[in-house]
Amino acid sequence: MVFAIIIFILLFTSIISGYKSYSILQAERNLAQHHAEEDFHSQPDRHPHRVAHYGSYAFRPKSALSFLDAGLDPYTGTMVYLEAHQQNSANFSQAQQSNTLIRIGEMTMAFVMQWLMPLLIIFLCFNAFTQERENGTLKLLMSQGISIQQIAKGKIMGFSLLITIVIFPAFLIAILTSLVINNEPWNFDTALRLFTMLLSYAAYFFIFITGSVLISSLCKQSKTALIALLGCWIFFCVVIPKLTVSLGDALFQTPSKAAMDAAIHRQAKNGINGHDDQDKRTKEFTEKLLKKYGVDSASQLPVNLGGLVMAEGEAFSSKLYQKHFDELVNTYEKQNNISKWSGFLNPYQSIRAISMSMAGSDFRHYVTFLNAAESYRFKLAQHLNHLQAYKLANKAKDTRLDKSEYNHYPEFSYNPPTFWQVLFPSLISIFALYIWALGIYILCITILKNISIL
Amino acid sequence: MQFILEAAGLSKTYGQKTALVSLDLQLNKGEIFSLLGPNGAGKSTTINLFLGFIKPTSGQAFVNGIDVSAQPVASKQFLAYIPENVMLYQNLTGRENLSLLSSLAGFNYAKDQLDELLITSGLQPDAIERNVGGYSKGMRQKVGIAAAVARDAKVLLLDEPTSGLDPKASNEFSELLKGLSAKGTTIFMATHDIFRSTEISNRIGIMRNGQLIDLLDHTVFNASEIESLYLDYMRA
Repeated sequence: MVFAIIIFILLFTSIISGYKSYSILQAERNLAQHHAEEDFHSQPDRHPHRVAHYGSYAFRPKSALSFLDAGLDPYTGTMVYLEAHQQNSANFSQAQQSNTLIRIGEMTMAFVMQWLMPLLIIFLCFNAFTQERENGTLKLLMSQGISIQQIAKGKIMGFSLLITIVIFPAFLIAILTSLVINNEPWNFDTALRLFTMLLSYAAYFFIFITGSVLISSLCKQSKTALIALLGCWIFFCVVIPKLTVSLGDALFQTPSKAAMDAAIHRQAKNGINGHDDQDKRTKEFTEKLLKKYGVDSASQLPVNLGGLVMAEGEAFSSKLYQKHFDELVNTYEKQNNISKWSGFLNPYQSIRAISMSMAGSDFRHYVTFLNAAESYRFKLAQHLNHLQAYKLANKAKDTRLDKSEYNHYPEFSYNPPTFWQVLFPSLISIFALYIWALGIYILCITILKNISIL
Repeated sequence: MQFILEAAGLSKTYGQKTALVSLDLQLNKGEIFSLLGPNGAGKSTTINLFLGFIKPTSGQAFVNGIDVSAQPVASKQFLAYIPENVMLYQNLTGRENLSLLSSLAGFNYAKDQLDELLITSGLQPDAIERNVGGYSKGMRQKVGIAAAVARDAKVLLLDEPTSGLDPKASNEFSELLKGLSAKGTTIFMATHDIFRSTEISNRIGIMRNGQLIDLLDHTVFNASEIESLYLDYMRA
């Protein structure tokens, strides 16, 4: 009872602190994004390529449900500097900026639900059968004409009801909080995400309840059942996740940032260098343009050669960066897949993946943001290159363009993946979780059929 | 003829140890049967086999014609079990315990009916609303009897019911069993208590080393003869 109250208080405080943290971070990011846009749009008349190098910033907005599960958010970057020729990585993660305590994990609802709730369930259920055995009431119950499976089903239902009583008010608060955060009429996407989370956590708790009742039925003494269950908790919630992460790292190694930058730099030399007139490929590109416009020299071109060379170079370097980035993401996906498939061995890893994904704080959401930021950067750079190419006279390197030409450029906006886009990649984890719930229930009932009650 | 309780070649071994050897026994409706024997004679094993708590190595146990091994749950609807120490839920009152046990068996009673069942079984009215944590062994047994009556059990299996009871409580308990028997309930009692068993039983079985070595009819032998025979068997 005391532990249940502690869990409820922890859930309540984690939601409130999560909401508080969300509000502060989101306000900071909104403000920073606004200032970045304002700075970009208030530039004076400039050469378009100077505008491209001045650049802008994309700040990752917090997902509406990330206050429930911070997931990878504290460790991934929150801001990307958008400039010409460069695909910068996201910087300024919470972990970088905060004290070291954040590295051991934030106190979020997910932490309480994934780590502490199983402990509550263990402390609640470990003596479900052993106490009946020790007190001699099991034989009395059995002699009433009910089977041991019926007793087990009753206990599982009873404990499930108790856990629901502890969890339900917290989830209600979470729903209300998400409504406040959305600050708009009920968002169906958020509702679906919350509903999926709720069903998944229900299955997760059911696994621990049924497993605890099963272990309790197999043990003669309560202390043996408790030790066995705590061993299971350590194995499933601590050991296996660490092992699978290490296995992923060992099987699919990612290049260091320095190695990746060096590889990109080396390969970029094969493309057009917009800042080097004497570059071999620049010369070839110029020849093609001269032929296209039917002129003999670059000075006769009706367009600004520099702008078009920049656009060509940008297209090449962007493709190159994207290729390396996709390879890197692919390696991370392979590492994550080990974790995802190990959900069939460990329900903790399934619920973790589902929870993060529904909260919008998983790796997929992060990559979606980075891709959106890169797409915006590329379009902005090419827009400025084309302004240079078609609005400036040829060879006009120092000519300034009227600021009205670029200060209405649309602001960066990020649309996170929808529920349906998130659901499909999460199906393996959802499936694994429900296989676990069904499997352990069938195992429990089957084993109990032949168990000795003496 | 169908017996209410029947053992046909019922045997149980635990590894090398034989707990019960080919028991053949039939009990009629309303009969009080006592199984006498020292510790380890196989009395409790017999009860556990009738309850389906353990599976026989060979042979069959029947309750009202139902094979216990084949239909352990169905066979229990006719049985009530009162162990040596009736262990109830200590944080519940006598009434709450009775309500829980009878509802598990599929019988739901109103508060007044529960109280009546407890009082008829000999529990003092002022104890009904007290937590059973403070009950004596005799009081807990009375709740057990009330639970048996509440579910209209046809057979009462009792394991050492009078051990540890004071003479008054033991006497009250015997009277209760006689009353139930008169209403048609069959009583099967495993006991060391020769005095009580000879006082109330119709038949007495004597067990030693897992074997039923004699069946004595109380209408043929009086109490002192039964005691004498029992002691002879134990010395042999």
